[in-house]
Order: sequence, then structure tokens, then C-alpha cells
Amino acid sequence: MIDLSKEIWQTLKTNKLRTLLTGMSVAWGIFMLIMLLGMAKGVINSFSSSDFAKSSNVIQLWPGKAAKAYHGLKEGRRVNLRERNLADIERDNHAHVTEAAPELSSSSMKISTSKDYITKNYSGVYPEAKEQKKMIRGRFINENDLEKQRKVMVLSLKTAAILFDNPEEAIGKTVNMSGLSFTVVGIYEHRWQDRIYIPYTTAKALTAYSDKLSTIRVTTKQLSTEQEANDLEKDIRGTLGKVNRHASDDESAVWVWNRFANYLSHQQGMRILNIVMWVIGMLTLITGIVGVSNIMFVSVRERTHEIGIRRAIGAKPRSILSQVIVESVALTTIFGYIGIIMGTVGTTILDKMFGNTDFIKDPTVDISIALEVTAVLIVAGALAGLFPAMRALKIKPVEALRTE
Amino acid sequence: MENKDIMIHLRDINKTYPGAVPLHVLKGINLDIARGELVSIMGASGSGKSTLLNILGILDNYDTGEYILDGTLIKDLSENRAAELRNKLIGFVFQSFNLINYKDAVENVALPLFYQGVSRKKRNKLALEQLERMGLKEWAHHLPSELSGGQKQRVAIARALITNPAIILADEPTGALDSKTSVEVMKVFRQLNDEGMTIVIVTHDPNVGAQTNRIIRIADGIIGTDGKEVSSN
Repeated sequence: MIDLSKEIWQTLKTNKLRTLLTGMSVAWGIFMLIMLLGMAKGVINSFSSSDFAKSSNVIQLWPGKAAKAYHGLKEGRRVNLRERNLADIERDNHAHVTEAAPELSSSSMKISTSKDYITKNYSGVYPEAKEQKKMIRGRFINENDLEKQRKVMVLSLKTAAILFDNPEEAIGKTVNMSGLSFTVVGIYEHRWQDRIYIPYTTAKALTAYSDKLSTIRVTTKQLSTEQEANDLEKDIRGTLGKVNRHASDDESAVWVWNRFANYLSHQQGMRILNIVMWVIGMLTLITGIVGVSNIMFVSVRERTHEIGIRRAIGAKPRSILSQVIVESVALTTIFGYIGIIMGTVGTTILDKMFGNTDFIKDPTVDISIALEVTAVLIVAGALAGLFPAMRALKIKPVEALRTE
Repeated sequence: MENKDIMIHLRDINKTYPGAVPLHVLKGINLDIARGELVSIMGASGSGKSTLLNILGILDNYDTGEYILDGTLIKDLSENRAAELRNKLIGFVFQSFNLINYKDAVENVALPLFYQGVSRKKRNKLALEQLERMGLKEWAHHLPSELSGGQKQRVAIARALITNPAIILADEPTGALDSKTSVEVMKVFRQLNDEGMTIVIVTHDPNVGAQTNRIIRIADGIIGTDGKEVSSN
């Protein structure tokens, strides 16, 4: 191994400038590849850390109006979602449904404190509605709240800022809603959501124990393809059509937001983005590889006599072949690593400049990209060396006898 | 003739280079060289001398006949086997020295052992011994470009000797040297021969031929005189 690396070092040293120039094109190719992959990764990271991606296993249902007549029932009638539909959905689709949870939203209410008031609607929810909301103070609605129909409330930071002088100390304070006192138990932060949450059971009590729901949130499991997600949506529509008496293909009877299917098509987009980056990066790298192949060809031609001598004094074809290929791999890898280092620095700069924007998040290269690129380098180097090595194999030992 | 002291045995060697007009270069060469001989092969250019050298050196194949080198039949060998036998049985000395110019003397001398897979430490030690034998110990770490012609040829001879080969095959070993240095190099060959080494020198220089024990003349693809006497030519 030491011998081989010494041999390689010696041959590279004899052609310093040419080695350097060719090497730089490989380094540049790898640099571009890393930068592109880093950016793709940044975009993908930014997407997958968004709230949209994280709660992607939820299908939301809202009541609508029937657009089709059904068994003597006229079109245009209102279709309600009822509490018993939760059990229907869970029963009929248990393979892909973890849980169906109700939500009960009010019309606008006046909510006030001694400081100020706002007019907003509230949502009566189950604990799972927390999704990816970041609790900055206190907690979300819990099972105890539901069981005891507690008059507790979770506010967004924005709402709390209106109602309290110091929103971060609002926990335990009371707010007034339609003459009732609610205790604030949690403050959350979210990029766009701004709703007021109370326990579902409390909301139900406020609406005279009606079993009509404003939303059903279905938590899914074991979905892996868009097809499966769409099938589940169809199945749920079927279940509801049967029990609520409307056409199961009537899309306006129940409004569905199938976040998983959306999520998957985004995932698909991200995969394509990554592939495109690889392709562009590889095409850039090919320029470098062709350069390496070229320099190896020149090197083999220049050393025809030397290879002849080596063959004459007992070098087997295999050792000539491996010497050329290993030399090519070494050249590619050494300069490739310079490219990786440049790329790492480049993506770090990128991270500093754009790392906190919505489009790119943490674009720096990780170990898996580095390993993939290393594999690419070795394969590319071997390929670049292959044809020159075959040329070298054609050199006969008789060449040694030819006088220079 | 079926003596075990026969080092090189050629019987009815024929070689034709194919082409539009096939060239019959060797037309039935018969030749025996005994162990410990110092012989020269002489001939004009186009006589088939170089082809014979290629065949003796296992650098080229022959069409028909039989070549036995040190008891090993050399015929229809794979490239790998040929390389192995060249490495083991033959020490080459070339007209243009054929040292690798970016390797120093020790590395050049040690190179044949590299292809035998001998460890670096061991082969450098052996190479140094050979250089010492050639009186070049203090030049061990010089590049070929820093050596004189005579020194380069002695490095090349050290390289030829390092595998302890059956024969030394020298191709115009003095062709690139001045007369004084030529004498020195020939002295080295004679000394090696005195120590028992079988040496075949291919040359067109009568002075070189005169210093060998036997001159084999080749003309037009056949061996002319196979005299044991040294020609006064």
C-alpha cells in the first residue's frame, strides 16, 4: 500500500501543473454537486419541518350540502356530521384509522378581560388537536378537562397579547366568554393558526348538548402511497354516505381535506428535486472525470516505454491495470475531497445567509451525503481510469527494447 | 546435447511476421548455450538478431520449434506466466539502460522484487547489496539523471542481478557508452561470468564480441558459425 501510494505520488509529482488543473475541475464538479445537494436538502428540510408536513397524517372532514338527490331526499339539503359518525368511521376503516375525533366550533363570541376584548369563535377539541402547536406556556387541553367539562382555555400568543398586558404570565388568569369565566391554561405559538381552544365536552355543554359536529379529524396510520390515502378518503365518504344517507360519491356532502395525499405529492416533488440536483451535479462532475480520463491517457502514452520496461522485468498485466486505475481513483478522490471541503464551507456560508428563511433550512452536508459523494468519486475515478488502463495493457514488453 | 548443464536450448525455431508480404525472419534456429557461458550474438540489422533476442527474453512468441530455458519449456505462455518467468529467469540489460527516471538507484534495482511481492524493507536491503557489488553504494539515492552512463549501466546490471536469474540477457549494453566506459562494463560482465553467471550479449560491436567466449553469428535468419573459438574478427 505504501509502495503503491509512493508510485502514485511520484507520477503525479512529475506532472504537477497538469495534475493540478485536472484536479481542480474534479474539485469544482464535486463542489457544485455538494452545493446543489445542500440546497436541495435545505429546501426539503424547510418543507418537512413545516407544520403542514408534520401533521400530515390527518384527514379533516366538514359537513356540507348534498349536491345529489338520494333515495327520495332532495339535493341542496344540509348534511350534518354527528357524534355517532366517529364510531362509524373508526369501525369501517380500522385498518387505516387510529382515531376519529370531533371538533365543535362556535360562531363569533365576545371574549374579554379587564384589559380588552376580542370577537372570535372557539373550537371545542380533544387533546390530539394540539398537532404541532408549540406550547410556550402551560399545556394544551387534556383528558381531565374533557371528563370534568372544565372551563379552561388555550390561547394563541397573538390573542393573549391582546387580552393581557403580559401574555406570558396569562396562565391561571381568567377571561370572560358569554358570561362564563374561563381559566387560561396554555399559550401556543403557530405560524398562522390563531384559534381559541376549549375542551370538547365544555363546548358541547355550551351548545345545549347537540351532537352535530363542525369538524371530524381522522388520524390515519399505515398509509404509504397516495393511492392508499385516496382510497381511505373514498372509504370514509362511503361510510358517511351510508349512515348519513347521501350519495357516497357526492363530494360536496362532506368536505374533505386529505393532508396525507397532499403531503405525499409534496414528498414526491422533493424526491424529484433531489434527483434533479444529483443529475445536474453529476453532469458537472463528468467534465472533471473526462479531464481525469484524458490526463491518464496522456500519462499512459508518455510512459509507454516505462510500462514496457516494467512488463519486461516482470510486471503482470494486472499490476499495470491496477496501477493506472488506482492512480486515477487517487487523483479523483484527493481533489474530490478538496471539493467536499469547499462544498462544506460553501453550504455553511449558505446556511449563515439563508438558513433561517422559509425556503432553506440547514443546507449543510451530512455524513450520508459525504459517503454518497465518496462512493461517486471512487466509481468515477475507476471509470476514468478504465479506458486508459486498457490502453496501457496493450503495451507490449518489447517496447522496452526500443531505444528512445 | 541432452545435458542438464544446457541453459538455453533452441531447436528449429521459426518465426514469421504476418502481413501483406509475410516476413520469414527466423528460419530454423538451432542453438545451445551451456550454463556458465559468456556468448555474444552478432549480426547485421535485419538478420533476425532482434527477433531472436525477443524470443530468448520471452518478450515475443515463436511459431514452431522448441525453446527450453533452464529446464523450462517456453512455449505458448499466458501473459501472466511469461511475466513471471521473465521476472524469475532473466535479467535484462538494455542499450538505453531503461531505468525509471523518477526513481532513485535503489528503487530501480528493487523494482523486479516489487513484482515478486517482496516486502519493501527486504528488497531495499537486497538492492543496496547489489549496488554495493557494483561499487555504487554511495550513489544509491541518486536519480538516474544524476549518474554517468557507465554508472547507469551498472545500476541496470544490479537490477538484472537482483532476482538471481538464470541468465543475463544484454542488448547492446555498450551501445550508448564511450569506449572507455564500454571496457568497464564488459569487465563487469566478465567478472560476473567468472562467478558462474550465464550471459548472452546481443551486439554488433566486434570489440564486444571479442571479449566473449563464443560468438554466434546470425545472418538472414539462420545461425552461421557456431564456433567455440573466439573469432579474431
